[in-house]
Amino acid sequence: MSARDTILSRLRETLRQPHLPFPPAHSDPLTHAERMTVTHAEGDPWTLAERFAQELTAVKGSCELLETETEARLSIISRLQLWVEEEQAARKTAEAERAGDYDVLSWPLEQLGIESLPLILKEIGFKLIEPTDLHDPQQRERIRPIRAGITTVEAAFASTGSFVVGGRGANARAASLTPFRHLVVIPFSKLYATGEEWLAQMRHAGRLDDYLRQSRNLSIITGPSKSADIEGNLTMGVHGPKVVHAILFDDLQQ
Amino acid sequence: MQVDFNAPYKNRVQQALNDPNLRVAVSKATDRMTDARLASMDAVEGQKLRSQVRQMKQHVLRNWPDYLQQLESNLTRNGCTVHWAEETEDAQNIVRDIALQNSAKLVVKSKSMATEEIHLNHALEEVGLRVVETDLGEYIIQLADEPPSHIVAPVIHKRLEEIAEVFQDKLDMPPTREPTKMTSLARARLRQEFFAAGMGISGCNFAIAETGAICIVTNEGNGRMVSSMPRVYVVVMGIEKLVPTVEDAFLQLQALCRSATGQNLTVYCSMTSGPRQEGDVDGPEQVHVVLLDNGRSRMLARGYGEALLCIRCGACLNACPVYQEIGGHAYGSTYNGPIGAVITPALAPEISRFKELPHATSLCGACREACPVKIDLPRLLLDLRSDLVQENASPKTEAWGIKSYASLMSSRRMYESLGKMASIGSNLYAGMSGGNIKFMPPPLNGWTAYRDFAPFAPKSFRQWWKERSKLRGQT
Amino acid sequence: MHKATFEQRPNRVALFVTCMVDMLYPGVGIATCELLEKNNVEVVFPEEQTCCGQPAFNAGYRNEARKLARRFLSIFGPLVENGEVDAIVAPSGSCATMTSHFFEVLFEESREEELRRQAERLASVTFELTEFLVDVLGLANTGARLQGKAAYHPCCHLYRELGVDDQPRKLLDGVEGLEVVDLPHADDCCGFGGLFSIKNSGISAAMGRAKARSAQQCGADAIALCDVSCMTHINGILSREGISCRAHHIAEILNNHLGNSLRPPSQPEPQQPDHPRRWGD
Repeated sequence: MSARDTILSRLRETLRQPHLPFPPAHSDPLTHAERMTVTHAEGDPWTLAERFAQELTAVKGSCELLETETEARLSIISRLQLWVEEEQAARKTAEAERAGDYDVLSWPLEQLGIESLPLILKEIGFKLIEPTDLHDPQQRERIRPIRAGITTVEAAFASTGSFVVGGRGANARAASLTPFRHLVVIPFSKLYATGEEWLAQMRHAGRLDDYLRQSRNLSIITGPSKSADIEGNLTMGVHGPKVVHAILFDDLQQ
Repeated sequence: MQVDFNAPYKNRVQQALNDPNLRVAVSKATDRMTDARLASMDAVEGQKLRSQVRQMKQHVLRNWPDYLQQLESNLTRNGCTVHWAEETEDAQNIVRDIALQNSAKLVVKSKSMATEEIHLNHALEEVGLRVVETDLGEYIIQLADEPPSHIVAPVIHKRLEEIAEVFQDKLDMPPTREPTKMTSLARARLRQEFFAAGMGISGCNFAIAETGAICIVTNEGNGRMVSSMPRVYVVVMGIEKLVPTVEDAFLQLQALCRSATGQNLTVYCSMTSGPRQEGDVDGPEQVHVVLLDNGRSRMLARGYGEALLCIRCGACLNACPVYQEIGGHAYGSTYNGPIGAVITPALAPEISRFKELPHATSLCGACREACPVKIDLPRLLLDLRSDLVQENASPKTEAWGIKSYASLMSSRRMYESLGKMASIGSNLYAGMSGGNIKFMPPPLNGWTAYRDFAPFAPKSFRQWWKERSKLRGQT
Repeated sequence: MHKATFEQRPNRVALFVTCMVDMLYPGVGIATCELLEKNNVEVVFPEEQTCCGQPAFNAGYRNEARKLARRFLSIFGPLVENGEVDAIVAPSGSCATMTSHFFEVLFEESREEELRRQAERLASVTFELTEFLVDVLGLANTGARLQGKAAYHPCCHLYRELGVDDQPRKLLDGVEGLEVVDLPHADDCCGFGGLFSIKNSGISAAMGRAKARSAQQCGADAIALCDVSCMTHINGILSREGISCRAHHIAEILNNHLGNSLRPPSQPEPQQPDHPRRWGD
């Protein structure tokens, strides 16, 4: 008998015993109806966005809330610009400027729906690096020194300040993982009160199962990377980004 | 002084008790985590959360084989390869073979108790692989060549100064006491490893049967690295780490984060449902899932199924006053603290192999109060003690002592004469040593080694009662 | 656990004094008895009683524990079932836990359904002393007076198995002159744990010393508690460590057994306590 069959039949046999102390013979599943929502948030999109900002800030991320797509575009540009300056200042040397300073590890930004964002970024000197195969040693080396990454999200949850990034197609997992700073752009249309609400809507629409299967990888991210392993001292940016900045913008007005 | 992991139990405990740093480090950290847990559970409907997760997990165990098969078929459908391992060696061989087949030289690992349980690092190193732990705490103890001493905080037993020494000795870091500098160095070193590794290994916090997804949670991001960067990703999961649906997973995730570190959610919860597909930028080309029994089915059959509800949050360790005194290494097992004292013997081929552990507890119940799935740990520890007696694994003198006590107590006459004798004897003896008894012969010297003992009362309660009744003219 | 509710105030109870109180701390038994009688509850003392079997159960010797459990049921069972007493009262959270929780475990395991049911019935009328005084008799004050500072230590079985915590605290608050202070980390186990105190004496003592440090920290003259087993351990530590604070069973405080003041008198005390103090103080 294979290991699989041995294990499964052993379990079945044990569970058939009448006096097994645990689990009880009647162990009902937790139904969708009774399952609780753990954290709560409610209100209009702006209220939710404010809550998101508050929660993300509490876990040492940062956030901006913007009224229009145009403002969001401006904010994205100035944030990336600011980061370049910060990086250069931190180096404090004469040759402060480096060739790769303007490299940004990026998802295809067209999906943001912010008009001409990629174009403008390119015009002012940013290089949006969109790798195609990160198992290719050359591409791997190329992204290694990149200090900033930009992505959007699958969804964001106001009650915990969390966002979900997927990892399929042209959307590199690395963009939200390997750079030192992560700029995450969240349109209001992707913002949900809670994680439970997002799941419920997907379930209701009949999309949840296929969506999860096809995602290969989904990460729920709540703030910048951190650790308290050194005698309880909080240190930021252990493996993932040390800086997580979210730009939320109202795309529901139109 | 360090706890020698290979010394006998009594010595390990004594070494732990003799180490002043250990108690400071452990109690400081566990108090902090306990406070965070309580605050975070109080901020939501914590009791309801605990009941619901328990209900969900209990249902899984009742239908365990069905859910395992569902998980297997969905993982397979998603393109993962599923392996089944009955015992430690089987799991070691499976992972070793995967590594060799893919000519992996370097393996990066995300903290995982299941792989500690099967001593995987050692098994891989034996065939020439280099294995690097990437959780910061786990990295530090790997450098120090020690096993983890806590389920979620592996280096909880070391103080800042001791950790700084490890960085100096092993990584030639200039002397520093700044945690941020040590972290930066670790980041830089481990970044090299992530980019070079041919294989990533992690455990599994929970697997979703309905969709076939493996979830791992970390705060540092190493879990995402390990499951995304190398070409081959191997998951070693205990077969009990199952949830039915993604909604159940999200519920348990929150119970786990709140109970472990008091966070609403950990920084990263990464769900892998399959290997990279055509057109994907990154992600592993192969995903292997090793379903590890290693005593879990034995544990169910032995009657310790309730402990299979455990979600490995470490809350019971933090709440345990024994753990606070001796830390994790003194237990001498992969899993320590109250849950370790239960599952270590319950998973083992013979319970008696770990006969000290069920006694390494005052049965105070703080663990049960902390447990997010309300496992009745004190009750299970009592059951284990009973099993040890059944297996004749208890000391002969103890068995004799308890049996004599039970016979004495079965007769009022004998009980009363014993009382009188003890009273006369202990008072005489105490009188000689100035009021309290400072020394008693073995095995009671365990008491007087650390504490005084007051003599028996000159006149027992029942004597008082009798005299009073006589005075009142009753019988 | 299901607890009986009484339509009429119980007027007769069986005292389950516990072997430790009987032999080591008769004063606690006397205080218990007098507290009940003062409140118009007649006390019956079944003299056949010995030990509930907890040491055997705790060590894993269930056959031996069952032997003593059967004996206990045969003594107390008829008293309750014939209506001779309304309840069973014990000045111990731990022994009450044994008879009202673990007896059922023992008979469930041996599949002795009759005995399990009897144990369950007795459990519903078994009360720890303070639980009985507050929950059943509705007492808030026992009329006790005592000068000094006391901290309450919740013993684990009482606190976590029986869920009794407010009751003793309420009664202590009712003691005139007594300043009740919070014990830091109050709900941490003192380290006694039965056989644990011998088998793992080093850890047990370390936990006891942590408790002693807490007592010193809050400046208490006394630790009040509801179990003489934990009391023996804590006092053994305090005495060995040369700390003047002592643990006292709550019954002795509530029944004025400790004299006027917890503090050692600077001049001879005007009135000697009725019952000799223990632990050489």
